[in-house]
Amino acid sequence: MFSRTVLSSCKRAPQACLFRRFATEASAAHEVTQVDAALSKKTARPNLHTGIILNRSPIITRTPTPFEKAYYAYQTRIHRALHNPFPYDFYFKQGSPLESRFNIEERRRERKAFGAPFGMQTGETSEAEKLAEATMRDEEEAMPRVHEADINSDFKNLNRRGQRNLYLLLQKQENGTAIWKFPQGSVDRGELLYHAATRGLEVECGNNMDTWIVSRNPIGVFHPPSPASTGGAEEDVVFFYKAHIMAGQVRPNRTHTQDFAWLTKGEIKTRVDEDYWLGIKDILSDF
Amino acid sequence: MSVSVLKSNGLPSQLRGLRARLYSTRKGEVSSSDPQKDILRRHLYPPNIRNKASPTGTWRPDVARALQRAIPSVQAHETIERAWLLHQRHLRKKRDAELQRKFNCMRQAMQELEEIDSRLFREANKQEDPRARSLAEVEAMKSMSEPEKRAVESRVGGLFPRELRIPTDTPPKNGWPNEWRAFQRPLA
Repeated sequence: MFSRTVLSSCKRAPQACLFRRFATEASAAHEVTQVDAALSKKTARPNLHTGIILNRSPIITRTPTPFEKAYYAYQTRIHRALHNPFPYDFYFKQGSPLESRFNIEERRRERKAFGAPFGMQTGETSEAEKLAEATMRDEEEAMPRVHEADINSDFKNLNRRGQRNLYLLLQKQENGTAIWKFPQGSVDRGELLYHAATRGLEVECGNNMDTWIVSRNPIGVFHPPSPASTGGAEEDVVFFYKAHIMAGQVRPNRTHTQDFAWLTKGEIKTRVDEDYWLGIKDILSDF
Repeated sequence: MSVSVLKSNGLPSQLRGLRARLYSTRKGEVSSSDPQKDILRRHLYPPNIRNKASPTGTWRPDVARALQRAIPSVQAHETIERAWLLHQRHLRKKRDAELQRKFNCMRQAMQELEEIDSRLFREANKQEDPRARSLAEVEAMKSMSEPEKRAVESRVGGLFPRELRIPTDTPPKNGWPNEWRAFQRPLA
């Protein structure tokens, strides 16, 4: 279908029609864009917008459910009873403090897996073992999995809810009411959609973030309900692009946006309009 | 099978069977010049002991008692396995359903884009060449400092960026890096 229309418009621009190169550079598409621009002007074209779903991926692993925990402990016990002998003298030099430390930890694991008679130490503790026990007591602990941002419900903090996927939502003024939606930008004439997405994100959220737009394809489409009379010529279409944030923080453009928040999928549902929610809910990750 | 509590240093009794011949060495080659080599040889090629339950010493001396503590009964073990497989199935179905929904959204978006503008559709479908550099990039690289050039070169198109962090059990000590120097990346 496309080739026929190209040939028909070739009478007007004979040089353009047979000249197609599949290069990734934008300049090579010039000849083809002339033909396409001629075509697209004919049909009524809706206004294109790009929305960006900026995602902060989980920082910590998910907490296992009680069933999963019990099953893992059960499997550990069985493996411990049946596994091949561990070549401890290959990994630990005889009499070294690392060996003593390993022995202490191993006895602890035995006691935890099978109960009291297993993992009991016969004989007296040597010098190296006493040293190892002392160092183990002084060791610093890992960071807690719950951050203070969780306790304070600080929605702007990117440390909140480390296990979940967080999405950026901006609060904007539209027709007098405050509405929460994803960052959005318009598409200029002749601009590619994912270029428009990067530009829109920069305009709305500032440059102080290390972001990465995943691909050239949009991941979803949304038709906002037009406030003017239904069946009007001017229509809006929003194409959503997925991006990841790896460092930095949002610095919202004060003229466009009043507020921003990093929210999980359930929290987005409570803040966003109903028809917007129905349009975006299948694009977001559940957990 | 000997029912013995763990030995004095709390480790399995492997060194006990060392009096057996090491068949992996030639006559007269067993020497203690390199103990590491001997240890490695002993673990890789365990001696063939015929009077133990398993020639490679697979089991610990108190394996029967340990197993009794670990597994309640045959029926219980089978029930646990079935419950686990069912749980995994539920998770798999949930994950697949979510992926299916996301893919349908993508497909819908691409269909609508094709109807609206074929040039944008064609550009969106292009495969990213990791080695290609766009004109805008080449132009911008000419007037960049060395660290900035490295930053642009390290972000390869079509591949995941190195900075995308894999989830760990505990969060990093310094938390989320809120300070990040603003850097204008040229359009790819």
